[in-house]
Amino acid sequence: MVNKYVMNELQIGTYRFSSRLILGTGKFGNVQSMLDAIRASGTELVTVAIRRFNREQIEHDLFAALSTIDGLTLMPNTSGASNAREAVRAAHISRELSGSPFIKVEIHPNPQHLMPDPIETYEASRILASEGFLVMPYISADPVLAKRLEDAGCASVMPLGSAIGSGQGLTTAEMIKLIIRESSIPVIVDAGLRSPSEACAAIEMGCEAVLVNSAIAVAENPEEMATAFAGAVKAGYKARKAGIMPRSGSAVATSPLTSFLGKAT
Amino acid sequence: MITITLNGEQHKIRDGSTVDDILDIIGAEKQRVAVVVNENIVYPEKHSSMVLQENDQVEVLAFVEGG
Repeated sequence: MVNKYVMNELQIGTYRFSSRLILGTGKFGNVQSMLDAIRASGTELVTVAIRRFNREQIEHDLFAALSTIDGLTLMPNTSGASNAREAVRAAHISRELSGSPFIKVEIHPNPQHLMPDPIETYEASRILASEGFLVMPYISADPVLAKRLEDAGCASVMPLGSAIGSGQGLTTAEMIKLIIRESSIPVIVDAGLRSPSEACAAIEMGCEAVLVNSAIAVAENPEEMATAFAGAVKAGYKARKAGIMPRSGSAVATSPLTSFLGKAT
Repeated sequence: MITITLNGEQHKIRDGSTVDDILDIIGAEKQRVAVVVNENIVYPEKHSSMVLQENDQVEVLAFVEGG
């Protein structure tokens, strides 16, 4: 079990990462921009997808490009799978390619909203966890499903903040808080984050990490935005460790309420 | 010649062609790829010895950017 209050490192399974920011590699304007953002972010864990080899892109070897960054672990996703069987197959192929035990289970059959299929996601996650994968399922912010996935042996759960690529932010914050309260595996917000302040808020509320892609990749300056997200995530974790003050229902004076210029209070 | 399906398209290849031969033909031999034949992963150590058969379904896959 991860101790949420004393560990500075992100721990997933037996893996430890110094950064609580996980980056997606999609949507960048070019490979160099992606590599610059990854370096600037300080992340040690990035997502990739698998697709059919395309001879038109023969010079475009993502694996080789990512291999130029030391200390990077790959987390392949199962995007493109529309059911558990396809996701399990994608995971097996990805492990063969990456040598990484991490797999982001991502099954969203409807391209209109990309909401994850909870039943297929659960089934794929259960199978892959039993096979020794470090399973990171992308799910709706559902505390019951999250607990079931933990019981099935997942290494983490990754509830969405809002729809993939929407930039709508942490619209599911209250549900994510419920997941965190019940969870003894890392809770990682995946999808929908738009700005560093939202990433900071997610970590402050108890998420162990955030996974960000579009917000960095489509920024005018992805490298600078990656730096901003890295700072926000660190600030959020520091604030959580420092102990965030409780809310009060009324004003509490910060200056002494004693006499002022002869007036009694 | 035999006919195989490679990444969804039919191709005619020489009898006795191996997985390595196919990777060479499509230009994938220099890139890290995974090969799946009839839904079974073919590990790299078998690429030079596995001879493809008529109607084999071959998938050659690589990592691409994704979130």
